[in-house]
Amino acid sequence: MVTIKAGMPGIFYRRPAPEDEPYVSEGGTIAAGQTIALIEVMKTYNEIRAEADGTIGKFLVEDGDEVEIGQDLAELETA
Amino acid sequence: MDTPTELPPARYEYGGDEFLFVELDQAMSLEANFKGMAVTNALRELDIDGVIDICPSNASYMVRIDPDRLDPRELVEELRGLEASVGELPRDYVLHTRVVDVPVLFDDPWTRETLMRFRDNHQDPSGTDLEYAARINGFDGVGSLIEAISSAPYIVTMLGFVPGLPFCYQLVPKERQIEVPKYVRPRTDTPERSFGFGGAFSVVYPVRGAGGYQLFGMAPAPVFDLDQRLPDFAAGIVFPRAGDVLRYRTIDRAEFDRIRGQVEDGSFRYRIREASFEPARLIADPDAVNRELLEVLYR
Amino acid sequence: MSDIRVHAGGLFTTVQDLGRPGHYRIGMPPSGAMDQYSASAANLLVGNEPNTGLLEATYIGPTLEFTDHRLIAVTGATASVTVNGEPVEAWTAVPVGPSDVLGFSMLTAGARLYIAVSGGIDVPVYLGSRSTYTLTGIGGFDGRKLADADRLPLGEAGTRARAGHSVPESLRPEFGTPAELRTIIGLCSYRLTERGLKTFLDTEWKITKDANRVGYRLRGGSLEFTDRAQPFGAGSDPANVVDLGYPVGSIQLPGGDEPIVLLNDAVTGGGYATTGTVISVDRDRIGQAKTGETVRFVETDLDTALTARRERAARIDTIREALTGN
Repeated sequence: MVTIKAGMPGIFYRRPAPEDEPYVSEGGTIAAGQTIALIEVMKTYNEIRAEADGTIGKFLVEDGDEVEIGQDLAELETA
Repeated sequence: MDTPTELPPARYEYGGDEFLFVELDQAMSLEANFKGMAVTNALRELDIDGVIDICPSNASYMVRIDPDRLDPRELVEELRGLEASVGELPRDYVLHTRVVDVPVLFDDPWTRETLMRFRDNHQDPSGTDLEYAARINGFDGVGSLIEAISSAPYIVTMLGFVPGLPFCYQLVPKERQIEVPKYVRPRTDTPERSFGFGGAFSVVYPVRGAGGYQLFGMAPAPVFDLDQRLPDFAAGIVFPRAGDVLRYRTIDRAEFDRIRGQVEDGSFRYRIREASFEPARLIADPDAVNRELLEVLYR
Repeated sequence: MSDIRVHAGGLFTTVQDLGRPGHYRIGMPPSGAMDQYSASAANLLVGNEPNTGLLEATYIGPTLEFTDHRLIAVTGATASVTVNGEPVEAWTAVPVGPSDVLGFSMLTAGARLYIAVSGGIDVPVYLGSRSTYTLTGIGGFDGRKLADADRLPLGEAGTRARAGHSVPESLRPEFGTPAELRTIIGLCSYRLTERGLKTFLDTEWKITKDANRVGYRLRGGSLEFTDRAQPFGAGSDPANVVDLGYPVGSIQLPGGDEPIVLLNDAVTGGGYATTGTVISVDRDRIGQAKTGETVRFVETDLDTALTARRERAARIDTIREALTGN
């Protein structure tokens, strides 16, 4: 198992917009390069992508939380 | 005519090690602005090594310095001297400037669309910015407000906020100044060349962007031209200069479209005339001096 | 071919030099490297003059491929630096050749990396500078941040620098928190009560997500304004003043609870009260502070600011002498 980390500080969001569904749910499968969340900083929303195929385990931060560089965002079970 | 504003002694403040900020008054007045203009013009003529930028503002001014070449304390001494020698505005002090015709289409479709989109950010969501400004300034309608804006010229008191944005103050006594608040919450969008009003200042937005001023109209001609395509921008990317006298002239849609065509084909030129006036006389008899300035402009 | 191929632009990577002075009066801020010391050191390491075009990368380093033989140096924020996946030293002149790829791991301290290349990033000079000012889209590479697949032109490299030379540890900046920002109190500080000013200086302010080259918005305290009848032309809000010029580094107080430190790409004036100015040397420090970290304003005076400035110039001279041997 690996963790997906924040490459930048900012505010963490699991959905593209407040009224939308999350990018991916816990237990959902994802492909490398797929967006799993956003981090807002410097007036831009930056997509956080998975680096490998796998299944998302637990999210380790809440929607709307502040995150710092290097912080663990989500568990990723790789095949 | 009312008594001229007595200015307090100037306040000198170090803006870190690279800037000097000089406050002439906390309130806006023609007296404060003319004093700043006189001192900054005199400073420019001294051509002191280490002075990087001289920035007149409304009732204050700022100087950017290179402290490796010029000790900020020495500059303060220099400026105190200038304040004493030219800052008192002798009666015969003459300001040499340009008078410029600036066409404006009031109540245009583009700023109207924008201001309706941001009605929730406004003091009075029920009307337009012009209707609101006319009412709170005691005019009997939008037409009288527009007439008041175009009847007397404005002086460019400061450039800033973003590159090329001129702040302008009307050359009339305080009791005839139009004053409006800024939006309760700033807009995230303002069309390029919008003619806006906030506090006692009118502006032309050089580029599209955020803004909090009331929106009254649209200028067909640019104040900012990065590509320096038009002849009036040969010397720089910004047209207005601090101290310019601008007359906002009401135009109709046909003239607006004609000027836009000239801007697009590169043939547009502002109507500009060199002029001089005595600030002391303008403060004593604004209507007479304004009449003379407009005569020079349209002769 | 003498250019750099951008494989990945990073988050916000721009071409900068030491700035574009002389246009403040038309409302154009100076831009330029946020951390001028680190930028100067990087350029000196590769044999460039300090005021040469280089890259400034915020939070995420770019991935760059070289097409000829150059010296490069990385300074500023702390991160593992690699060439073709192999670690190389930061604050050191590193030789690269055709097809070599420079990459970065996550930052461990600081906010902005500086990447200098011998010969410099040779974008066109606009109004006397190569610095990027993204708000109006001027200078730098097309007036914007780097994007994947861009190709950056390089200037001709001199022969002065030597691979392996480095800046000694003692001359590298440290990024402890809270960042202490020495500040000359003044400008419109009369708008605050004594208690308001004390709160301003006693508070450990947190940097919000709205912190970029324009300015850093802070949160953590609420400042008390003095009661006054607003002067003519100032507007109705107690935080409003008659619009005036903002020094680079000045701290404006919209609303009293969200101070904004104005930086290299900031608006040059406006109608909010300002309460003081961070001294020029400590702008380097705030430029290396991140969203989520804290800063503290420490009251200082002009003498201290000028001394700090001379000391920074002396450190840059020391680096220059150590590298050139004279």
